[in-house]
Amino acid sequence: MNTLLIALATVLPIASSSSDGYLLALLLAGPVGGGVVYWMIYRYYRNTDKTHHFEAETRVETRPATGSDTKVNSIRGTRRRAIPGRNDGDHRTRVRRF
Amino acid sequence: MNGPYVQQPGEGQPTPGAQPPTQPPAGHTQQHPPVVPEQQMQAPHTAQQQTAQPSAPAQLPHQQQGAPAPAAPQAPGHPPPGQQTPGQQTPGQQTPEEQLADLTGATTDGLREVDTSNQNLQDGVNRCPRCGATDIQLRASSGMLMCLFCRHEWSEKQFDQNKLGNVPISDLRGTVIGTGAAEIQADVNEIVTMKCSGCGAEVVVNTAEAMSARCHWCRHNLTVNEQIPNGAVPDAVLPFALTRDQAIERIREFTNKRKMFADRTFRKEFRPENVAGVYMPYMVVDANASVDAVGEGEVQTRQYTRKRGDKRETVYDADVYRVERHLDFMTDDLTLESSAERADMNTLVNTNNIINTILPFDTENAVRWNANYLNGFSSEKRDQDVSHLEPVLENQLLSIGRSRLTESIRNYGRGVRWEAERINVRGTRWVSMYLPVWLYSYYHTERGKNMVHYIAVNARTGETMGSIPVSHGRLWIAAITSGTIIEGAAIAALVATL
Ligand SMILES: [Zn+2]
Ligand SMILES: [Zn+2]
Repeated sequence: MNTLLIALATVLPIASSSSDGYLLALLLAGPVGGGVVYWMIYRYYRNTDKTHHFEAETRVETRPATGSDTKVNSIRGTRRRAIPGRNDGDHRTRVRRF
Repeated sequence: MNGPYVQQPGEGQPTPGAQPPTQPPAGHTQQHPPVVPEQQMQAPHTAQQQTAQPSAPAQLPHQQQGAPAPAAPQAPGHPPPGQQTPGQQTPGQQTPEEQLADLTGATTDGLREVDTSNQNLQDGVNRCPRCGATDIQLRASSGMLMCLFCRHEWSEKQFDQNKLGNVPISDLRGTVIGTGAAEIQADVNEIVTMKCSGCGAEVVVNTAEAMSARCHWCRHNLTVNEQIPNGAVPDAVLPFALTRDQAIERIREFTNKRKMFADRTFRKEFRPENVAGVYMPYMVVDANASVDAVGEGEVQTRQYTRKRGDKRETVYDADVYRVERHLDFMTDDLTLESSAERADMNTLVNTNNIINTILPFDTENAVRWNANYLNGFSSEKRDQDVSHLEPVLENQLLSIGRSRLTESIRNYGRGVRWEAERINVRGTRWVSMYLPVWLYSYYHTERGKNMVHYIAVNARTGETMGSIPVSHGRLWIAAITSGTIIEGAAIAALVATL
């Protein structure tokens, strides 16, 4: 059931984008759903995505964060739902060192 | 520029918005992003329109003035030897139990080594304190050493990591390491010759393979307890607390949930009784560090729909801020693989990530070295020194620092894009440790590729993780079957909407 929802979630935006999209979505739903099923079972057995969550599972004591916030720009009428290149949740992805 | 923003302890978020009258006059900069509830519609700001590109990263962070620049920025790493905090000497007489506090050890390259060897033990015959026998083994169900002759149970003293350097983590400066974590000498003679105090014979043990040997003449068990600079004797050891039977049960439970798509040969050959108790080598690190991060964050100011052709679409207005953050923090017992082979976690060729996943251990309960803890178990040797692991530590500290900054950027509903970061390690404390793992290994060949699949059980917490080879044929059948069902459902859904 979950798989079905994931597959539909992948396909529905395509379907709603145009009337031709309906046909494309129809063609894609099966293969996408099958691929999702394959990947989910594979991951459940092989656990290739698992590592120690040291960020959460280590005792850490922090001092209050300091810093500054400076307004540099405003954007009008963007269709983006988030800042481009948002990475505040990807703690392990390194950015440039200074 | 702006004054620094300081988060109050316990404060959930920077409390912008409701700006106090002390706020500097309105301009192009504000101290804090205003609070704009994400879904709330608001009249567009007309006053602050700027010509800059909406998403162009404004300036390079190092050109910024008024950044939260940490005082006296040091190169990441460790201060020179001269900069170590004085006043940590513990003069006077020490009992053997207090020798961990002995800081008079050698100082080389800014490293301070603290002798952690167990002075109560020697290389050779170490007897049961009650009956004098030498056949001693760990009893996992009690976590104690047990004399196999008289059943007396006892345990080594708890290893107090805080005694290394004798300071809390917040006062750590430079690098303090236990002698068990000292640099490995390539040319060390791993063959140790011990004199049997039972009969006077000489007994030879190759410490590359074992830490104990039996005297051929009088049958006494002799153990190696001196720290040899080959990585074989760590500062501390965390004894097994889960029995073999308990481990077998966990492994069975894990595989029972993963039967249907498991490789057929794996299922046929599955023998959880073959699980092996292995002490794996780690460095357990305390660190006193700070992280700086700079980037841009966006706060939504308006959400509305507009017409585009014959369709309506949702669009947003947002304010863009330059975000700079500095965080001081301390980590306690961060645990790093100290074997190069185990640290390699390329899931395409090995399953070492499985063993990594069962971390953490209750490393605070580790005890001082006694080779008898290893009897009946196998162990892997450390081959990585502190200098090899410093980049790994810095990487993990950066990840921890970044994760702890999340709280301070909550108001950026449209998120933050970090562009540059910096780690400054003020002080570290390194202890090498053996940690107990029940390990089931399955050697699997698939399309000419060999891989060892592990199922690992944390022998303290019982946390279990594993890799089960799959039957690709069965997976394909499942994929095609569900694909077909989904296709059918999609067609039905489309038909219903027509
Ligand atoms: Zn005894
Ligand atoms: Zn002997």
